[in-house]
Amino acid sequence: MTHSKTITLTVNGKAVTAAVEPRTHLADFLRERQLLTGTHLGCEHGVCGACTILIDGEPARSCITLAVACDGHAVTTVEGLDGDPVAADLREAFSTEHGLQCGFCTPGMLVSARDVVLRRPTADDNQIRVEMSGNLCRCTGYVGIVNAIRRVLDARKTAAE
Amino acid sequence: MAHASGVGARVRRKEDERLLRGRGRFVGDIALPGMKELAFVRSPVAHARIRGVDIPEEHRAAVFIWADLAMDGVKPIRAVSGLPGFKASEQPALADGKVRFVGEPVAVCIAATRAEAEDIAAQVFVDVEELPVNADMLEAVKPGAPRVHEHWSDNVFLETNVGGAIAEIAATAPVKVTRTIRTARQCMVPLEGKGVVAHWDRHVEQLVLTTATQMPHIVRAGLSECLGLDQGLIRVVAPDVGGGFGWKGLLQPEEVVAGWLARHLDHPVRWTEDRREHLVAAANCREHHYEITAYADERGRLLGLEADAWVDAGAYSVYPFSACLEAAQVGSILPGPYDFRHYRCRTFSVCTNKPPIVPYRGVARTGVCFAMEQMIDAVAEAVGREPWEVRLENLVPPDKMPFDNVTKKHFDSGDYPESVRRAVAAIELDGWRARQTRGEPDGRLIGVGVATYCEQSAHGTAVYYGWGIPMVPGHEQAQARITPDGGLELRVGVQSHGQSMETTFAQVAHEVLGIELARIKLVHGDTALTPYSTGTWGSRSMVMAGGAVATACRTLAERVLRIGAHLLQGRPEDARLVDGCVRVGQASIPIRDIAHTWYRAPQLLPPDVDRGGLETTCGYKPKSDHGTFSYATHAVAVAVDPELGSVEILDYVVVEDAGTMVNPMVVDGQIYGGVAQGIGTALYERMPYDDEGQPLASTFMDYLIPGFTEVPHVRILHMMTPSPYTEFGVKGIGEGGAIAPPAALCNAINDALRPLGARVTDSPMTPERIIAAIHDASTSAAASTAEATR
Repeated sequence: MTHSKTITLTVNGKAVTAAVEPRTHLADFLRERQLLTGTHLGCEHGVCGACTILIDGEPARSCITLAVACDGHAVTTVEGLDGDPVAADLREAFSTEHGLQCGFCTPGMLVSARDVVLRRPTADDNQIRVEMSGNLCRCTGYVGIVNAIRRVLDARKTAAE
Repeated sequence: MAHASGVGARVRRKEDERLLRGRGRFVGDIALPGMKELAFVRSPVAHARIRGVDIPEEHRAAVFIWADLAMDGVKPIRAVSGLPGFKASEQPALADGKVRFVGEPVAVCIAATRAEAEDIAAQVFVDVEELPVNADMLEAVKPGAPRVHEHWSDNVFLETNVGGAIAEIAATAPVKVTRTIRTARQCMVPLEGKGVVAHWDRHVEQLVLTTATQMPHIVRAGLSECLGLDQGLIRVVAPDVGGGFGWKGLLQPEEVVAGWLARHLDHPVRWTEDRREHLVAAANCREHHYEITAYADERGRLLGLEADAWVDAGAYSVYPFSACLEAAQVGSILPGPYDFRHYRCRTFSVCTNKPPIVPYRGVARTGVCFAMEQMIDAVAEAVGREPWEVRLENLVPPDKMPFDNVTKKHFDSGDYPESVRRAVAAIELDGWRARQTRGEPDGRLIGVGVATYCEQSAHGTAVYYGWGIPMVPGHEQAQARITPDGGLELRVGVQSHGQSMETTFAQVAHEVLGIELARIKLVHGDTALTPYSTGTWGSRSMVMAGGAVATACRTLAERVLRIGAHLLQGRPEDARLVDGCVRVGQASIPIRDIAHTWYRAPQLLPPDVDRGGLETTCGYKPKSDHGTFSYATHAVAVAVDPELGSVEILDYVVVEDAGTMVNPMVVDGQIYGGVAQGIGTALYERMPYDDEGQPLASTFMDYLIPGFTEVPHVRILHMMTPSPYTEFGVKGIGEGGAIAPPAALCNAINDALRPLGARVTDSPMTPERIIAAIHDASTSAAASTAEATR
């Protein structure tokens, strides 16, 4: 490993210091070095969204983010959402609405869906689709995923009333 | 015996928990101690002689070519069909002397990381002498076309001729319509690419190949043939697999290479297909061309059908399905769900300089339905009737079921016309017709399209024996074992990669034995742990393996009843299974206690107890060898923008009959997903090639698959006609959704374009093609006006 650079970042709440090659993207760093294999690679072109993670709380594509660019930042993967209440609601809803089949796109879907739930609490189905359009699924035809997000939004609306 | 979580219950999936927490285990997630990564050097050209492969001296030990494998006796992949006239191809796992498509593996490079392996690959130079290219199947069949395989007499893997005399009908039919129809070459694009981890297990002395496959047992058979290893020396494991759709239903050259390397190197190796590799080297499905004529009477009643069909089968015959399956299927299923007597079809499996064809969800049916349903609409237009009425005129009516059609397909059950009536009612055709008459304020054109198909699924032995390919499905087997603590293990040789079998097979077992779902464990996808199976393809797993699970569980139920009756001091004939307990009169004993007795208190067993105990492997075939026939009618309403050529789907209805549904939620999921892929085929997906055979799309920016905003909220209506031949009356449903959308959308678009005199016939129906069709129609209309005024 030549020209590697030492970075320090927070991964799922834990401080991590590692030497990485400048060309290593964040997803490879998370998967191969941190053994967090829940982040999936579907295209490595930044299109399919399977690798979506949170950087400082914002959704980002880990396949087109270089690990060295995350020095000093906080990264959250699907494994880091185990205790997150919105993610918990979404997991329940995805299962109830059959929002996953092979499960490969699912980690990225959950990260994006969580962002939609938090950012667009009043979204209708059409807005859910537009907001989620950065994530591709080849199995479900999207109906179950939209229904799952709808279910969580509705439940939160009811709870707030 | 209806159980709350048995057959027919909409229960949540057992698979979900691990997948929703990112704790699945896909090939790319597996890291073994000392493992190294592989990168393939792939052909940059479509057809060339290899003059040499230059490997930098410092990397010589990290790069392997075919000569290295061949020296060790590795054989090329051969998938021969027994159909007369089939020309065999040999596909070496790494190119041998020639390359025949862009992306064909030429050399393999090994390093600690994929990035470093790719660094080495970038320094390997393939010296080639380019040859003339067959980039188009219709050119490839012309005399004088360059040969993909030099020793062949032409570029045709196989020609088939189905049916017979039709000249009299052709001469006398009142209505004759002819079309030229084409479908594009596509990639299947499971979100997870292929991948393989291979190592040599020194303890068991086995090659262990963990691979993203739909058919572990077939991969083992193929590896054995290529590597010259006994099958007992090979274990193939499919872990979590991220979608397949057919792309993972074959023996891959990369699997052969990884297997050979693991056998000969002192460390595990891993290859994961990246998206660019998939798009470039695996554009391998769907490309058909039809010249087709339908003959009908004045009411649109079909009198006969005549077609020549070409399928671009690519450069090699894939293992196990061969290069001829797709075109041969065209010949046998082109008549669709219709009843007519005169038929002639000639098919050509054409060899070209493109990736080898692999059956994609629906296989030939998507292309066949696209062609046939355009013909029904063409006949309807010719006789001035609504297309759905012409379908009713020709569909096999329910009182003729079971029905043998013109190609001897045995339709098992159902009411095909009713699916059309329900679809037309559900889409509310009259409302759209009124809106068409009024016109749209924004100038867009409304169209409604209908398409009907029936789908042979869970093929029996005869069909595959007839094709004579390396794989013939026989009795499907399942193993059932009641564990000492009263749980149940099921072992099947099919493989679940999104189909939800861990849940649905448990539902089947629960239906028979009453053991709760949470205590039923499905083991699948591992040749060491499961009975032989041809795998998951052809919408067969629930019919075949589900039937085997039911059979095995029934066998165990009988044994459980006998032991239970003995323990309850009753007669076996008075015993019955209720909610996981054996009951005799008021007395009851749970299966858990019976399991305990068999394993841990055998002194209490009856002296004549079945020595097979609480474990059995049973084989299953449906009562008919002809497979099941699920069917559906799709109806879609669209708005076409005549200025932009864009298509918006306004409503989409599926009326389908999958027989008995084991889990309606899962069935719906299969249909939704299939329709989404069908919409991709219809409107977006195409791998374009230039004249040199170069694929022109290599990212998701230029190969478009439908996303959230392209796929509508499809409405599904179920008919449920149980198959008379299968356990519980189930029919195969996995592929169906992907069959009809291109046909329904084409008919809808042409319905919209009719006032302009324009028509599209080729998929995908892109804005460019729609605009071109409108332009051509207005140009020819202007020309004929000019002609008339001259």
